Amino acid sequence: MNQVNRLSAVEGTRTRIDGTVPINFTFNGKQLQGVAGDTLASALLANGVKVVGRSFKYSRPRGIVGHGAEEPNAIMQIGSGAATVPNLKATQVELYEGLEAASVNGWPSVNFDLMSISGWFGRLMPPGFYYKTFMYPAKLWMTYEHFIRKAAGLGSTPVQSDPDSYDKLNQHCDVLVVGAGPAGLVAAREAARAGARVIVADEQNEFGGSLLASTQTIDGQLAVDWVADLVAELNGFDNVQTLPRSTVFGYYDHNFLGILERRTDHLGISAAAGSRQRMHRVRAKQVILAAGAFERPLVFAHNDIPGVMQASSVSTYVNRYGVAPGSRLVLFTTNDNAYQTAIDWHRAGRQVVAIVDSRSQPKGDIVAAVKGLGIEVMAGHGVIEAQGGKRVKRALVARLNAQGADIVGPVETLACDLIACSGGWSPAIHLSSHTGAKPVWDDSIVGFRPGKSKQQERSVGACAGTYALSGCLDDGARAGAEAAKLAGHGDGKLYFPSAAVEEYKEQPQQALFLVPHSKKTSRAPSQFVDMQLDVSASGIELAVREGFESVEHIKRYTAMGFGTDQGKLGNINGMAILANALGQSIPETGTTIFRPSYTPTTFGAIAGRDIGELFDPERYTAMHRWHAEQGAEFEDVGQWKRPWYFPHVGESMHQAVNRECLAVRKSVGILDASTLGKIDIQGPDAAEFITRMYTNSYLKLALGKCRYGVMLKEDGMIFDDGVCACLGDNHYLMFTTTGGAAGVLAWLELWQQTEWPHLNVYFTSVTDHWTTATITGPNARKVLAKVCGDIELANDEFKFMDWRDGTVAGVAARIFRISFTGELTYEINVPAHYGRHIWEALIAAGEEFGITPYGTETMHVLRAEKGFIIVGQDTDGSMTPADMNMDWVVGKNKTFSFIGKRSLQRSDSVRENRKQLVGLKTIDANTVLPEGAQVVFDAKQAIPMSMQGHVTSSYYSANLGHSIALAVVKGGHSREGQIVHCPLADGRTIAAEIVSSVFYDPKGERQNVE
Amino acid sequence: MSNKLSSIKVESPLQYFHRRTSHQSQVAAVNGTELFNGDAEFALVVKEAPICTHLNLRGDGRDDGFSAGVSEVLGIPLPTEPGHYHCNHEHSLYWLGPDEWMLVSQAGALTLEAALRQRLTGHISIVDLSGGQTLINMRGSNTAVQTMLKKSSVYDFAGWPSAQTDKGCCVQTTFAKATAVVSNKSDGSFDLIIRRSFADYIARWLLDAGQEFGCRIEG
Repeated sequence: MNQVNRLSAVEGTRTRIDGTVPINFTFNGKQLQGVAGDTLASALLANGVKVVGRSFKYSRPRGIVGHGAEEPNAIMQIGSGAATVPNLKATQVELYEGLEAASVNGWPSVNFDLMSISGWFGRLMPPGFYYKTFMYPAKLWMTYEHFIRKAAGLGSTPVQSDPDSYDKLNQHCDVLVVGAGPAGLVAAREAARAGARVIVADEQNEFGGSLLASTQTIDGQLAVDWVADLVAELNGFDNVQTLPRSTVFGYYDHNFLGILERRTDHLGISAAAGSRQRMHRVRAKQVILAAGAFERPLVFAHNDIPGVMQASSVSTYVNRYGVAPGSRLVLFTTNDNAYQTAIDWHRAGRQVVAIVDSRSQPKGDIVAAVKGLGIEVMAGHGVIEAQGGKRVKRALVARLNAQGADIVGPVETLACDLIACSGGWSPAIHLSSHTGAKPVWDDSIVGFRPGKSKQQERSVGACAGTYALSGCLDDGARAGAEAAKLAGHGDGKLYFPSAAVEEYKEQPQQALFLVPHSKKTSRAPSQFVDMQLDVSASGIELAVREGFESVEHIKRYTAMGFGTDQGKLGNINGMAILANALGQSIPETGTTIFRPSYTPTTFGAIAGRDIGELFDPERYTAMHRWHAEQGAEFEDVGQWKRPWYFPHVGESMHQAVNRECLAVRKSVGILDASTLGKIDIQGPDAAEFITRMYTNSYLKLALGKCRYGVMLKEDGMIFDDGVCACLGDNHYLMFTTTGGAAGVLAWLELWQQTEWPHLNVYFTSVTDHWTTATITGPNARKVLAKVCGDIELANDEFKFMDWRDGTVAGVAARIFRISFTGELTYEINVPAHYGRHIWEALIAAGEEFGITPYGTETMHVLRAEKGFIIVGQDTDGSMTPADMNMDWVVGKNKTFSFIGKRSLQRSDSVRENRKQLVGLKTIDANTVLPEGAQVVFDAKQAIPMSMQGHVTSSYYSANLGHSIALAVVKGGHSREGQIVHCPLADGRTIAAEIVSSVFYDPKGERQNVE
Repeated sequence: MSNKLSSIKVESPLQYFHRRTSHQSQVAAVNGTELFNGDAEFALVVKEAPICTHLNLRGDGRDDGFSAGVSEVLGIPLPTEPGHYHCNHEHSLYWLGPDEWMLVSQAGALTLEAALRQRLTGHISIVDLSGGQTLINMRGSNTAVQTMLKKSSVYDFAGWPSAQTDKGCCVQTTFAKATAVVSNKSDGSFDLIIRRSFADYIARWLLDAGQEFGCRIEG
């Protein structure tokens, strides 16, 4: 077996691996084998892999340091092809058969790195190197950025679309427990027993947290067995949802939290069926944060050489994964807690060279226990430097003064291949920090505790600075009962007795943030604070010398904490070193505040299933299938799919639209107008209300009549337009534009509810209820007459701007005689269930007249021929009715004001030279102006030219035989007959004549055809 | 008359999804025709109710005359407790707001509106939305139904008490990126009232979201 560091069973521990199930994987192309239960990190260590990556700036070889989310070095690209994922931490990747892993840093290989050999590059990159080195010339920035990124090696994103599926669940609970270590587990149990709906989430593959690597006993049981029983108990509750492999990555306002559940990542990418990851969007009444703590590294010279690890991580690899990442251990500690690592190492049958304890007189029970095992304890000493290339070979050790600030004795050399470090613990206050709670420094734990809670949450256990197991269990249970009570369950009393725990009573630790070296910091070999971004103690001190004082500025200047590990290991040491350099205390210096995400979150999970055809709803009319069957091309109008044009086989869009346009004006066309917004308005004050919304009056609109109106915002600018019909006493139907429907309804509700609640009027959207088939053209009446026998259709009976109820093809229908083409038009409305029926009946009835279905493009051309505006195309929120040459629609003598009226009198609204709607006729009849083209008066003017307006609509008119355009031009209404020019991006300049915006049938005779 | 009506083609909003299932690969295997083979494979079944009457009713819920009039016509009390509906064999009346209700009924729209208008006075509004909406029922295993609801809406449906035969809970809320009036039924299933133009989108959403359980749509 190649797993040189794999341990055989160790008495008194039970690993979480199954050595009988081998798992094959590759690392940087090399075939390796691990076992079931391994993480990628534990498997790499088992195989004796030393170097897992290269550092960001200096390209130094780096090895695995931690065992969880704090890992700064083992950053991997997992998988290949479309499903490849960059920047995963090997410590969090569960091993599966066929896993492909590669270091994200280090080209061409981690063991032979060009940058490191050339050696010059790092010296070019002191803190603030972006600002200093690459400052000038500015235009080279893109080049610098590209070079820096490639050199730093931040992994690669797949170029194909993601083959995996992700989804989202919205969850609600009384109590959300974050973290299923000892504190979280007992908290969940108490809350569940009290009857609360509980969710417990933990980022690891199994519940238990630190207990999974513990050799402690609880109630006489091995910790892992106690965990197994408790998890089974939790799963027995109907009101508990357990989420392993689930990271609570963000804590947002109103107790809303995000959880990323990795559902199939551990099975391998090819095994993914169903969603690979699931985003839980949780709204919790109460939250218990039991997120644990990170061991703090010790900062000494060359502390980044592979083989320098966290003490708790060494214990975890030994106890949980059965891996001893080395042979000869030097343990460097400031506290009692880490002594356990020496015991674990010793028990695994490996050599403990020495325990180097910075405290001058360590005297705890565990110190005595270790000495009892024959292990040498070097009190009052520190490891001042690690030596070795791709692996630790020696630790240089020296006596320190009582404060740990100076070397007071000779330097000794200890031969070793592993240095385990512990500078104490830092509570994982990240989620508490997300809520806005300001962390509070506590000298007694040498760390930041969570600040005063801003939301319905409390921290317990290690993330609150309580490290003893008994304390975690007691605090956890109390928090569970309290949270349940606050959420309305139970009375806060505990249901379960507290567990009996064997533990050493710990003696005070020493605060040691920077281990002194024989040389001063600026001259000593690099003492790394943030390994992922290569920030060293000397770099922080240099930044202070250069004048930076604020922790936020130092962070940005040095890039400390900017990596994907977000400074989980380095930040506290960095801040303490900064405080020391500034000659002030840590509380005075303060800390940076953590923001979401706690660990990187995939974009796929954020998108969920809102992709592809589900990205945005496609709204269909009742005739949609008919259009699709006829081969219609569709256009998006808001969320609606509207037929754009109906091409015959072999027809171009231009040909199809010309054919459709001619057919309407020569005989009859049919349009699906169902998407227009329709609002039913009822109430005794309906007419008054409507009259306040439109520029014209509806007080005298008679039953059976329609009127066209324009709505303005308060600023006097056109916002929507449409027809409003009087359906009965106090009953109206308002049509809006397709895209404006929801906005207009909200606008009506806003004014009614907030300004005029005394006006009795109700609004109801009936857009979906009615389907509208519009037949238009000189033969429209003849078509309608074939399917409608109970309405008198004669011109003087059913007049323009009238509506009638009747029966069309056997269905009760409401017909509006209004027109957007200028031709004789009937808009036939039926309840949508009959939509396709009525459409097909009209198509059949119109067959003898060559009835032609047409889409939005032809609709646009036909209305432009008539100079009818489209709000949002010919207007842009800065156009008044007068600008649109539509003064006729503004009621000057209305008794009550209408919205926007006052603004029409503002000096800017009445000034001359406003952009005004005109028609443009190109000098070359066949040239169609591009919409958006700028209009200038003098084609020879030097750039920058004086822009006088722009083209808003432009088409080729088959009916007129030349191109037509609508434009807004400064002072346009008085410029008819002038020639203007449209300079285009391609160098052409198109000349056009300003003409009336009504190109066709200026007297409006055609809609009254007999 | 009946002959004439029978020649009129009526299409419900989910017409084109009846008998469609979430088993896309199998659909492809049988050459594009739709697969429909019973309940066994489908932990989630979505059934569109036959076309019926949907009326939007507005009025003052605090007005005794109004609430008495509504209950007299419908034979059920006007729900005034937020988020509740009342129903009998013919009508279901959903609370949408202090002055707004949704009435789904087996009675004809014109007759029902006329009966209500005759009995009710003052400032009211009755709007026929029968063509613009459809009611679908979602039944299946509790896990499948609850997961579907959690995927589709931010509302806490699991927090509802069980429905009774004559009343239950309802809410008008977001459903995927559309809206729905969601209510629970005494048999443990849920009813959704959705808008016609969003029906295709919702059907696709349901088939997609229900894939992990197997989902089919019935007419």
